[in-house]
Amino acid sequence: MKLKSRILALGASALMALSAPVFAEDWAPDGPLTIQIGFGAGGSTDTMGRVLGKVMKDNTGWNVVVENKPGGGGVAMFTGLSQMPPNRNIVGMGVSIPVLVQLVNRGDQLPFDVDSFDYLGTVAKAELALVASKDAPFDNLEEMVAHAKEQGTLAVATMAPPQVLVMKQTEAKTGASFNLVTADGGAEVMKLILGGQVLAGFGSGEQYPYLESGDMKVIAGANQSRLSYAPDVKTFTESGVPAYVDPVFFLAMTGGTDPEAIKAISAAIDEAITAPEFVEIVRNAVKGDPINMGVEGTKQMMVDGLANAKVLFGK
Amino acid sequence: MVSADRISGIFFLLLGLAMYFVVNPAHIEAVEGGSLNPKTVPDIISLILALCGGLLVLKPTTHQVANLQNILRTAGYSLLLVAGLFAMSRFGFEYVAPLLAFAIMWFIGERRPFWLAFGAVGMPALIWFLVTQALGRALP
Amino acid sequence: MVDFATILAGFGDAFTPFNLMFVLFGVLLGQFVGAVPGIGPIMAMAIAIPFTFGLDPLPAIAFLVGVNKGGLVGGAVPAILMNTPGTPDAAATALDGHPLAKQGKPLKATKMALFSSVTGDLFSDIVLITVSAPLAIMALKMGPIEVVALMIFAFSILAGLIGNSLIKGIIAAALGLLVASVGQDPEHYTPRLIFGYWDLFDGLPLPSVAIGMLAISEILRRMSLAHGNVKSGIITDGSQKPEDRRVSWAEYWACRYTMLRGATIGTILGALPGIGSTAAAFMSYAMTKAGSKDPTSFGKGNLQGIAASESANSAVVGANLIPLLTLGIPGSVGAALIISAFMIHGMQPGPLLFEQQGRLVYGLFGAMLMANFVNLWVGQLGLRFWTKVVSAPESIIFSAALLLCIVGVSMATSGLFGVAIMLIFAIVGYLMSTFGYSLVIFIIAFFLGPRFEKSIAQSLALTNGDLTQMLKSPVAVALLLLSVVSFFWFLRKNAQAEALEKKS
Repeated sequence: MKLKSRILALGASALMALSAPVFAEDWAPDGPLTIQIGFGAGGSTDTMGRVLGKVMKDNTGWNVVVENKPGGGGVAMFTGLSQMPPNRNIVGMGVSIPVLVQLVNRGDQLPFDVDSFDYLGTVAKAELALVASKDAPFDNLEEMVAHAKEQGTLAVATMAPPQVLVMKQTEAKTGASFNLVTADGGAEVMKLILGGQVLAGFGSGEQYPYLESGDMKVIAGANQSRLSYAPDVKTFTESGVPAYVDPVFFLAMTGGTDPEAIKAISAAIDEAITAPEFVEIVRNAVKGDPINMGVEGTKQMMVDGLANAKVLFGK
Repeated sequence: MVSADRISGIFFLLLGLAMYFVVNPAHIEAVEGGSLNPKTVPDIISLILALCGGLLVLKPTTHQVANLQNILRTAGYSLLLVAGLFAMSRFGFEYVAPLLAFAIMWFIGERRPFWLAFGAVGMPALIWFLVTQALGRALP
Repeated sequence: MVDFATILAGFGDAFTPFNLMFVLFGVLLGQFVGAVPGIGPIMAMAIAIPFTFGLDPLPAIAFLVGVNKGGLVGGAVPAILMNTPGTPDAAATALDGHPLAKQGKPLKATKMALFSSVTGDLFSDIVLITVSAPLAIMALKMGPIEVVALMIFAFSILAGLIGNSLIKGIIAAALGLLVASVGQDPEHYTPRLIFGYWDLFDGLPLPSVAIGMLAISEILRRMSLAHGNVKSGIITDGSQKPEDRRVSWAEYWACRYTMLRGATIGTILGALPGIGSTAAAFMSYAMTKAGSKDPTSFGKGNLQGIAASESANSAVVGANLIPLLTLGIPGSVGAALIISAFMIHGMQPGPLLFEQQGRLVYGLFGAMLMANFVNLWVGQLGLRFWTKVVSAPESIIFSAALLLCIVGVSMATSGLFGVAIMLIFAIVGYLMSTFGYSLVIFIIAFFLGPRFEKSIAQSLALTNGDLTQMLKSPVAVALLLLSVVSFFWFLRKNAQAEALEKKS
């Protein structure tokens, strides 16, 4: 399977190379181009960002430096970015949802909003799924709700605020009651499910090996559309709970950056995400292919995302 | 002579009370529902701190603070580091590090030209080379 | 599960001169970078990963394994030679290692650390290779409730390190827990005590607090003592006896039970994600001290103390791979970096790893075994180098160490902000030790605090707020009973030790 995907990716990148417009190399950073990752070393954003930086460096010959600026799911990094004068050749890489959540809940405490940045593009979308152990006595959201009502309550592991809200929304719509156990990231959710301490929990990629081995099953998709790897499973929205979360990995620069720089850097990102080694790392991390929404599309994604987050948080 | 424990005990008593009554209410958000309120654990710890501070004032050990002169010297070195850090945020590591290293060595009492030069020029240059050239990372 | 031919093929892949070269290269880099003040073993890994991008999986992983294991040995060096541990787990090594070095036996102290580190590491590697699957299942059964009980047990063992004042020990622990509560709360994800600094949302950066408290505060103290009187960091006159420069077989063998206990503690805690090597090192140290016939000799250069700490903290790192390989769950920052490196090289840790990539996994095991022996060999040479380095004048050692800590912490955190926090904690640490509070207890509480609160929140959610449900878990009950017993036992031991001290 890996070989096949590799060949496909190679073919795709060859096609792109042929069809892509040859952009004029008239802009280059004067010094290093820094990619600041809004998370600590070792996570999926960090891994993708480091490979992206390496591929961009190979393709363009620019000195691309990758740094970690963790804190608040990217909020600390974007705060720093928004306070900088433009044209410092610093690119921020983060995930849309954590930033949008803080903008909705604590916008008055933050020195930036969605308009503070010039967007460069996206690299991938995370798919969020509610999964359960294979022995759980339910196979979809309706059955899970019924089981929870029968038992009085049911323990579900979450790892971020929007998932808590999705479950609260489920409680509100169905009248079932859940014990929400907050975990430190997807890996701990998996541990709680495998250990039998909770019956179900959210995963954004950590569950794949267990789906493949048959130790777990998907109960519902938490994105706007169905999961690419489980197209038969309904989403929360389809099951009558109007709530979804669409986390996107995106890149942005301080607002007011030289348009030539935006053009060159976004083109370099667009070129890099088709490289086979990048495609492979994205497949390992989010199980999907790289997605670039482009300069305009990324901005639109953030604006729409903010509106959706406001609905989700009831603001 | 006053035991050093009385001083630190009063400090922790006041710190605990200040955290409990002033800082925690102002800097921890109030939430509804859930199992563990964000304020619960910091509040309990603040009270333990205040209680133990109070007990220490009443029942101090015989601990004495060694040497006031040394504490003042440490304060001097700390100020030097704070100033160096501030300068670094303004002018960058490359310019500040040699001066900072020289100042530290001079205050410790180093007067031999070879070691002074090695510490103030050689070490910063070596660090610069390792970080920017060998590792490709940025200096502060 | 994996057939014998795959195992042999995996080991066969590993044991080639080409891979040995990468292991050697990794160990060299790890030992060197791990020993530099302010940089340490985790930074060594983070630095090394980009270098592996262009390599094949096995040499790349062999290289990283080398860095990881070399970093462990390197991490003990500044703790012993300068009393400036770069990571909190090495702080336990410094307790006896530094006094021994100050007595003019730096080589003996560092060699004991090297031997016990490799012993503990080898022990946990063998456990990993042979029985990782059942251990991983056991670790899964440790749910939030059991983890709370285990943490209480760990805290009770800290009583063995408290020293002469229970009240001051509790203050140090409470302060550590209070500082640990900075950052988002474990259940509602609200920013807590961050005072508008979003950089603190994920908590105070660990390297800043650890290096500030343990290394910089010590350098500040020593600089004020060295004032106007420049001498070497460690004085070894050339006339010292050969037995002071090495560890004899008898001395090593005398520590066998200590190392076995340390390696067992380290392996068990390492298999449970999130507890960490700091707790393991100090638990092993406290147990060894309390079980010794001569507890007053600890803290004055007892080889048993070095062996206890190093065997335990090194065993954690090998055992951390148990949940990582079998379940895909990283147990520490270092383990998370290893997962990221695996993913870059197309290895997906999890339940199918052994089936799908058994040959690569056994190649990894082969590399780990090689790395242990290379570590031993490189260590013998490297330690001589470092003991030479610290015989330079203190003036240059302190100024260079300060610069390196500034650069290292700014690389490991987000720039000068992390360095400023390091400086604040250096001053706090200096004041605490001046007023007689234990930095070690503070640091352990700080490192265990977030996990402790999170586990409490999870347990409350699972039990609907009724913690008496804990009594339904036999493991939790056993651990809680043990905690009560060990707390009072350690306090009594402390009192006895103090009485002995007064008499002599």
